[in-house]
Amino acid sequence: MKILVADDSRVMRQIVVRTLRQAGWGGHDIVEAENGRHALELVGTEAPDLVLSDWNMPEMTGIDLLDALRAGGHGVTFGFVTSEGSEAMRERAAASGAAFLIAKPFTPEAFDEALRGAVGAQA
Amino acid sequence: MSAVLDEAPALPAAADVLAIAEEVVATYLGADEPLLEVGPGAPAAAAVVSGSVGVTGTARATVTVELDEAAAGRVAVLMLGLDGIPAPEDVADAVGELVNMIGGNVKSLLPEPSVLSLPVVTAGRVLGAADPVVDLHCLWGPHPVRVTVHVPTSTTSPQES
Repeated sequence: MKILVADDSRVMRQIVVRTLRQAGWGGHDIVEAENGRHALELVGTEAPDLVLSDWNMPEMTGIDLLDALRAGGHGVTFGFVTSEGSEAMRERAAASGAAFLIAKPFTPEAFDEALRGAVGAQA
Repeated sequence: MSAVLDEAPALPAAADVLAIAEEVVATYLGADEPLLEVGPGAPAAAAVVSGSVGVTGTARATVTVELDEAAAGRVAVLMLGLDGIPAPEDVADAVGELVNMIGGNVKSLLPEPSVLSLPVVTAGRVLGAADPVVDLHCLWGPHPVRVTVHVPTSTTSPQES
């Protein structure tokens, strides 16, 4: 499986990748994007199976990225990893087609639960 | 388009902000050295690095974290899992992400809809236009850490109609 991690913070991208490993999801190909626009390009060229995206990013936000993907016919499984985990944000994410929203700070267990629910048990 | 006014308070409670900051520190910097609130008597940081994020919309607030340079460097080392001295851009990135996580969770306590800004990290202290509504003087190990929430005066007044 190929996982695209989109976050403008290199620190947070690294933490997300580390947490994937700690959650038992470390054996997959990881592609990184530093904003939503970059992620949109990489979805086209890299064809990831899963996108883990921050919400608040320069150039293009995570929710704009998701809306652009869905408008373009991309059905890639998409989850948010964001510091904003209010009910309103979760509803907005779900309405646009996000499979889950993991709120920061997060645990490996939260990652495993969300990913299992979205993409099933690991291959 | 009437807003639900009783869902979230206009001002965050200090205890809630402290709980958020404690959880962020424990999760990403390690549980061995928890963030401890010590009150205004905490030693002041000598050379300060400040990170701040703004909330705009139905709620308006600025959340700021101030810490000394040594602590800021240590934040980057721990978050990135580094062995050596972190690069300045990594320090700014780590401090920015720290305040982004605290600010994002503080935003979740406030009335929606609102938007969280990208974090800004600067050398020196961020001066608010008014006294902070939350002002937490803490220690993280030997390092003084201050977490504040400023709210524009206009939004702290009772709403009309």
